[in-house]
Amino acid sequence: MRSPAAAIAWEFYHRQRWGLAALALYFVILAAIRIFISEPGQHFTEDNPWGVAFVTALPTSASIAYFLAVFSFGLSGDVAARESMFPARMFTLPVTSAQLALWPMLYGTAAMAVLWLAIRLLAIWPAAFNVPVAWPALFGAVLLAWIQALTWMPYALRGLRVLVAILWLTMIAFGYSLAIHFKAPEHVMLALLAPHLPLAYLIARRAVARARCSDLPDWRDTLTRLGRIADLLPVRRGHFPSPASAQVWFEWRRHGRSLPLLVGILLPFQLALVFLFNHVPHLVMEVLIAVLLTAPFMAMFVAATVRKSSRDGSDSYELSTFVATRPMSSVALVSAKIQVTIWSTLAAWALVLSATPLALYLSDCWGLVTDLARQLVDVVGTARAITIGMLGLVALVTTTWKQLVQSLYVGLSGRAWLVKGSAFLALALLFVVVPVGKWVVGTSEALVALWDALPWILTVLVCVKMVAATWIVIRLRDTRLLSGRTLIAGATCWATVVVALLGLLVWLVPTTLLKGHVLALVAILAVPLARLSAAPLALSWNRHR
Amino acid sequence: MVNEPVLRITDLTRRFGVTTALDAVNLAVQPGTVHGLVGENGAGKTTLIRHVLGLLKARIGTVRVFGRDPVEEPVAVLSRIGYLSEENDLPGWMRVDELIRYTRAFHQGWDDAYAEELRQAFALDPAAKIKGLSKGQKARAGLLVALAHRPDLLVLDEPSSGLDPIVRRDILGAIIRTVAQEGRTVLFSSHLLEEVEQVADHVTMIHHGKVVLSAPLDDIKGSHRCVTMRFAHGRDQPAAIDGVVRWDGAGAEWTALARGTSDELANAASSCGGTIVSEHVPSLDEVFVAYVGRPATSGRDA
Repeated sequence: MRSPAAAIAWEFYHRQRWGLAALALYFVILAAIRIFISEPGQHFTEDNPWGVAFVTALPTSASIAYFLAVFSFGLSGDVAARESMFPARMFTLPVTSAQLALWPMLYGTAAMAVLWLAIRLLAIWPAAFNVPVAWPALFGAVLLAWIQALTWMPYALRGLRVLVAILWLTMIAFGYSLAIHFKAPEHVMLALLAPHLPLAYLIARRAVARARCSDLPDWRDTLTRLGRIADLLPVRRGHFPSPASAQVWFEWRRHGRSLPLLVGILLPFQLALVFLFNHVPHLVMEVLIAVLLTAPFMAMFVAATVRKSSRDGSDSYELSTFVATRPMSSVALVSAKIQVTIWSTLAAWALVLSATPLALYLSDCWGLVTDLARQLVDVVGTARAITIGMLGLVALVTTTWKQLVQSLYVGLSGRAWLVKGSAFLALALLFVVVPVGKWVVGTSEALVALWDALPWILTVLVCVKMVAATWIVIRLRDTRLLSGRTLIAGATCWATVVVALLGLLVWLVPTTLLKGHVLALVAILAVPLARLSAAPLALSWNRHR
Repeated sequence: MVNEPVLRITDLTRRFGVTTALDAVNLAVQPGTVHGLVGENGAGKTTLIRHVLGLLKARIGTVRVFGRDPVEEPVAVLSRIGYLSEENDLPGWMRVDELIRYTRAFHQGWDDAYAEELRQAFALDPAAKIKGLSKGQKARAGLLVALAHRPDLLVLDEPSSGLDPIVRRDILGAIIRTVAQEGRTVLFSSHLLEEVEQVADHVTMIHHGKVVLSAPLDDIKGSHRCVTMRFAHGRDQPAAIDGVVRWDGAGAEWTALARGTSDELANAASSCGGTIVSEHVPSLDEVFVAYVGRPATSGRDA
């Protein structure tokens, strides 16, 4: 290799050769389908979303996600860290920062463009879709370039990268969604997209140059000073009464405050909209719905840090030796985490439930809520209305908590392949579920068929859940992580909650709408069991390798 | 009366893919001793220690600490162990006083007075954040929380690697104090052999995952000699003498590190036409190099 450009290209190729080979194989399959299987001019029909989803949408989205991760160096590194994610080992190479930023960006944007063009040319598309050729390729390149710039940039606070990336990319996506909505012609789209590339490059170059000389902005001192306000509150300086309470404190300090903090940051902005639109009732209701969904939504992001128990700032998923050598059982370590997620959820909801009524009252919108409640009372009666309201609130709170704990077992396993694989699977499923769901909702026959098949679908899901739970319980007993008595007590608690939920559902939902056994299946699926029980097993697997 | 070993490892083998990190290792650490574990980087010392802590599960062979399996009974085992590693991954966000308060909760035998004494001796500011401490201060903070509960077994994995001589002295002082004043047990891995030589009662050398030598330090020193032999005629190859672990030299003068007494080696040398011109008790460093270093000549004759 005689140039830095070739060396950097070789590194990408060598590290990702198996992924690239898989992608090449996919292209060969697409080409083979097009040449040997499909008739000339054949298209997927609109009523065959599975074909589009599995043959085109799923592999395309997976490949895009793969390229974004590879070329931004996101596969190795802590996305929430303040430090640049650009590999520090490359900073000592005898090349300029401009070149360091240029080559990965050039290879990445070219790869994204080629990916789209290949899929556009080789895949079979639905006849009704007028799939553009050029601008999506440029859009993919722009998306990658911005992600590179944002991930290579050092930040003043931990987690700020995620926030900035979400806001900026959402803004870009929203802008282009509007352009698509108003049917902007391809040359306009290209003209709108083109300036992004040099701009993203300039920012990426600056980011690399700053990271190279460890020019790291730091707002932590300012926050620490703000945090001293908390010192005014009474703080227990005495000893912890037990190892469990010490561990709960440890987990709270590490992850517990994140969710209430995020919700606390977002709430003022959201509730400000209530004051702005207090004369437009439907907008107030939309804002209110957004406020109620904020905690569960933010919990999805916070869950990624809650489930991590590795060393601070480490990109490894292995349990830190400090935590692993605590003289506590794996069950006790997990139970401290779960306890903190409960406190965290309650703190976040305490904020929502105290700030929202206050904002509604001060903005003269309280009447809207009382009107809505009155209408509900008129339709279902007072007792049922109160129960529906309470159940809705409990559902939102438990959904928030479920978001925090349901993937604990993945992160606590400490296996990178499992963590990355589950994220990839979730993303892939999203790309399948969205087109299929859209199709189902828009097709009355499909909706009826789905409704008819609902008991069977739920039965299958319940069977999967119970089989998984049984296996986990056997493993928990065999590995002596939990005693038989504790397992029986846990199973009894779970069954009690399911029966209580079922009772409420039977009382609330008319049997003409859903049969009792379907409600029982819903209740079984609603109460967490298998994934939550798997957390101690996963931690033990991580801790004792 | 024979004491039950604090740590007993039997036929422990560990493989990571195609690499054999530990190969049929047997080890017993007696109570009240300082057991030095020495070996090159990558020899398997840390893997062995991770088995002792239960961070790795024994797949072939057994590990028993205080007669218990550290994987099956982590609470019973870890509550009696003080651990400090080269990695020293103390949480950076904690303050020193928070670290002390937090660690205290896990150990019934925590000695507040001793912890405070160590904190003052190590000049640790209780309000300082761990991440703001220097490497040496971090090691001292780690040593404080490893010692203050007066553990039955102190496990130190390359504790002084990369540290300045003053911190190393603190660590060695802590080991000596732990054993001399309290009769507790120390398992101490290092590649700084002069440190091991200062404090260890028993030394185990590991090479490529295998125990190549395990004996009390006095026995090792007493049973090995470093001799320089002179031969009447120059030799291309070293002489074939039983017990020689390593030969160095060329021509008429060769130096051997060998097992055996002075008389045995003198007799062996004369039978090969050589005479011993100098002799000394080898340092642990010389013994280590002889056992695990690459042969200086092709005529290694062990």
